[in-house]
Amino acid sequence: MRKKIHAYIFTFPSIFLTLTLGVYPIFWALRYMFFDYQGFGEPRFIGLENFARVGRDTQFWQSVWNTFIYTGGKLILTLPMSLILAVILNRAIRGRQLLRSVYFLPTIFSASVMSIVFYIIFNSYNGVVNQFLIKMGFGSLDWLGAKYAMLTVILIAVWGAVGNYMLLFLAGLQNIPDDVYEAASLDGVNPAQRLWYITMPMLGPVMQMIIMLAITTSLKGYESIMVLTEGGPFGKTEVMFLYLYKLFFPLVSDSGSVQNIGYGSAVGFTSAVIVGVITLIYFKISKKLSNTY
Amino acid sequence: MNVSRLISRTVLWAFLLLTAALMLFPIIIAVFGSFKTNLEVTTGATLLPSSWQFQNYAHAWTQANFAQFTWNSVFTSVFVTIGTLLITAMAAYAVDRVDFRGKRFYIVLQSMTLFISIGAVVLKPQFDLMVALGLQTSLWGVIIILISAHATAFFMMIGFFKGIPRDLDEAALIDGCNFYSIFWRIILPLLKPALGVTALFTFRGAWNEYILPLVFSMSRPDLQTLPVGLANLRYGFGAASENQYLLAGACISILPMLIVYILANRSFMQVNVGAVKG
Repeated sequence: MRKKIHAYIFTFPSIFLTLTLGVYPIFWALRYMFFDYQGFGEPRFIGLENFARVGRDTQFWQSVWNTFIYTGGKLILTLPMSLILAVILNRAIRGRQLLRSVYFLPTIFSASVMSIVFYIIFNSYNGVVNQFLIKMGFGSLDWLGAKYAMLTVILIAVWGAVGNYMLLFLAGLQNIPDDVYEAASLDGVNPAQRLWYITMPMLGPVMQMIIMLAITTSLKGYESIMVLTEGGPFGKTEVMFLYLYKLFFPLVSDSGSVQNIGYGSAVGFTSAVIVGVITLIYFKISKKLSNTY
Repeated sequence: MNVSRLISRTVLWAFLLLTAALMLFPIIIAVFGSFKTNLEVTTGATLLPSSWQFQNYAHAWTQANFAQFTWNSVFTSVFVTIGTLLITAMAAYAVDRVDFRGKRFYIVLQSMTLFISIGAVVLKPQFDLMVALGLQTSLWGVIIILISAHATAFFMMIGFFKGIPRDLDEAALIDGCNFYSIFWRIILPLLKPALGVTALFTFRGAWNEYILPLVFSMSRPDLQTLPVGLANLRYGFGAASENQYLLAGACISILPMLIVYILANRSFMQVNVGAVKG
């Protein structure tokens, strides 16, 4: 009995902080999304008006679309690449530990700090990459211009993510027992067949979790984009959660925009629902796929 | 060794080494660039600086205020790490060893905070709460909010508890220990590896955090941490487009992580895998 009181005392700091700074803000937003409130004056109840506005907000839906492109591009490049690296580094090759460390290195640094470095590397006038391209005789590319900014942002995201997913795949691969492979090699299975018919199916459940993690993280990411392009040029790299951020904290460089708390809460709720629905759809589809095995 | 095998080996190693080069490229650019002059960063043809400009660091440290940013980053990260370790170790101990009412609720609550995200919306009420408490004028507001997001650390911690046998608790109980002294004298010392890995994870998160300290330092420039101060330099404090200082600043921020990584890279990698399993 006494022990239970101690348990409450020990969990109290955690519960208290989670409720006040984790749960309360969500209810705060659930309330303000029905109000017209710009951060000053008296909030005015306007019912579903904010949501009607979300429906009409072409800028928001453009940012949702951009988020899909960003997420799709990032995953298409990151997942196969990290899986390939994991499969190779799961074998006993020379320098395996060193290579793993090198591939994982980008993930330990701050995304915003590295974005500053990438800003210098991809700068269109005198960036490191363009200097190199010019010297090779290819001519320069406007990496952060309207046409290529999204590609650049995706490439940077891939750079920061591959090592992380490689490690997760490796953890999954190490759980596949060796005798499965031994049996296969006795049957004369070649490496490609081994990857497709043994490794992939046995990695199924782990893969399902990793892809889900990758999808949700990508949908929510905006830090690096905020530092690198601020969503520009012309909103080409504006993703959902960056658009949301700007509604609450207008950027220094963007003097035209104003804080809009009521509307921002409605956009936040809508964005959370979009992420939730996509996660759910993915979960249903991937479950069906893994059931067919 | 036949020919096709030789070719496949070559392709494999070319792929591995090219990938490694791409991964290291931005870091190498940052490190060597930080010792160049601005002119050499923007037009130089060589990777290595023609003459090493060590004063870039002195300039960044004093003129561009990186001494202040570094101190703020160290202060924030250290206290976030200590606070998170204490709170999650205590909570994990109670949840793993005691059957109390609301235990399931607690676990559901923690996992929900991992899955539900409404992005930057929460920053506003969090900031307002800190203003109400008068904590927005110091880094304590940032520290408390970062500690409050401890669900991942909690799940990492509780994963390690499975490895500490309950017999130890019972033996200690018979020897006259109570709930608290078992925690301090038996559990915490045995929990060292868990504390190390969780500390690494938490410290990295706090050290690299950008958005939260950005919001808090909007009206208080003296609260800028390294990522915030560096990103704000883009707008220029008379240092506009002085790339060598930006790179020196980036290196100041990268260096501590790099050193820890070189010393403890296995634990670092354990962090990420553990975080997902939890």
